Amino acid sequence: MPKIGHHPIPAKAGIGLRFPHHQAVADTRPAVAWLEVHTENYMGGGTPLRCLEAIRRDYPLSLHGVGLSLGSAEGLDVAHVERVRRTVDRLEPGLVSEHLSWSVVGGTYLADLLPLPMTEEALAIVCRQVDQMQAYLKRRLLIENPSTYLRFRHSTIPEWEFLARVAGRTGCGILCDVNNIYVSACNHGWDASAYLAALPPSAIGEIHLAGHAVRKLEDGHILRIDDHGSRVAPEVWKLYAEALARFGPVPTLVEWDTDVPPLEVLIDEAARAAAVLDEADRERACAIAA
Amino acid sequence: MLRSVVARDDAKAGAHVVADGIEPAARLGIYRNTFASVLTNALRLSYPAVHRLVAAECFEGTARLFMEEQPPQCANLDEYGTGFAEFLARFPPVAALAYLPGVARLEWAVNRALHAEDAEPLNVARLAALTEDEQARVRLAPHPGVGLVRADYPADAIWRAVLDEDDAALASIDLASGPVWLLVHRAETGVEVSRFTEGAWWFSAALFAGRPLHEAVAEARCTDSHAVLAEHLAAGRFAGFSLAETS
Repeated sequence: MPKIGHHPIPAKAGIGLRFPHHQAVADTRPAVAWLEVHTENYMGGGTPLRCLEAIRRDYPLSLHGVGLSLGSAEGLDVAHVERVRRTVDRLEPGLVSEHLSWSVVGGTYLADLLPLPMTEEALAIVCRQVDQMQAYLKRRLLIENPSTYLRFRHSTIPEWEFLARVAGRTGCGILCDVNNIYVSACNHGWDASAYLAALPPSAIGEIHLAGHAVRKLEDGHILRIDDHGSRVAPEVWKLYAEALARFGPVPTLVEWDTDVPPLEVLIDEAARAAAVLDEADRERACAIAA
Repeated sequence: MLRSVVARDDAKAGAHVVADGIEPAARLGIYRNTFASVLTNALRLSYPAVHRLVAAECFEGTARLFMEEQPPQCANLDEYGTGFAEFLARFPPVAALAYLPGVARLEWAVNRALHAEDAEPLNVARLAALTEDEQARVRLAPHPGVGLVRADYPADAIWRAVLDEDDAALASIDLASGPVWLLVHRAETGVEVSRFTEGAWWFSAALFAGRPLHEAVAEARCTDSHAVLAEHLAAGRFAGFSLAETS
């Protein structure tokens, strides 16, 4: 198969491409700046891969993994690492990203992005495995901050510091999920703005936006759940503008995974992100002119 | 976390979690729910006919017990659910649906074919270029998108009628019609399921298992082995071959 060629991801708004939208994107070629897919969804062959290969000729593509389990104490799953490498080689994405989380223990895959104890030991494990992965893929990874619903008693490092140190030690970039920061900040009583301020702007390679759910527990307490099942919340749009003011223009992705709406809704959300990006550009230009 | 998420036992993990106003069990429950819903969804996608045959509620309950017994060992969830048919076969609440495990086995083969690696079909000219002696020693390698399924009931007819929501077809199925011998193959246009005779099926199984060609033909319990082989070759059901050592 001829090589597709590597297209860098522009500092514009893109959408997460999911199976229900394959046909609509292939048919209508909507005006979004780039696409991102889950790496694990294209590890086999057949129709999904063929459809993506056709679509991606017209769009810069980013691969976002959910199954690498970079925080697993038992080391990376060699077979999965190899599946990721083959998918990256085949699709030649502009960006490759994964999560600051773990999901494999004793060989069992727990099908979620689980929170790490924020300790020096966990930091060493994550850094070692990010190093291994970057060396194996011969490229820089972006690591995303997760949304979390619990913290461990023995954690000693704030999550924002942990993430910044992983980036500092390994040279990886940071995928700043603004919705996740908001969700985790609400769930743990953190200051979301202070979280953003603690991240090194030069390491930010991508921003994620998505909707979340607000769940009222039986005892009346509220937990925010990162379910990617609705439009981006007003508070998250506000935090996004703040992030752009700090980081400058960054490729921004809108994700939707639960109750996936018609493609138009997703495009509309991406247009809104594009407008916020434009506004941040204008403000920056004004500041320079002044 | 493993015990908490898979076996619903929060005692150990809960002791390490900051309570912070909300019970650790409630916090751990969020992850447990995600685990259950992600895997139920993965099973529903791989077993759509089973899902419809047992109704959503029963499927969810069955899936929950299955994932507790056999949690995934691979982060590629297209590969999750390999033991579901056998699980159903020894799961008393669905014992009345005797055909269910067969339908599940067929759906798993369809799922495997859908997600199989791409591979160039074997070019028949490469076989034709061999000497007669070499041809006898050929061990064929199946295309990754090919699978064989045997079921005691007409699983293919049930599967098709359920997915097409064709009640008339479903009502006309004779459950006493005996076993079916099926071949699943991902062709250019999609996954195809076709019936074979028992003899042709076993002959195909020997070929796909890489038995040397002359042995497979000699042991074939069907009279049309050459026609079956020609059909497989023409349909692109092999991806390559090697030559067996001469004895």
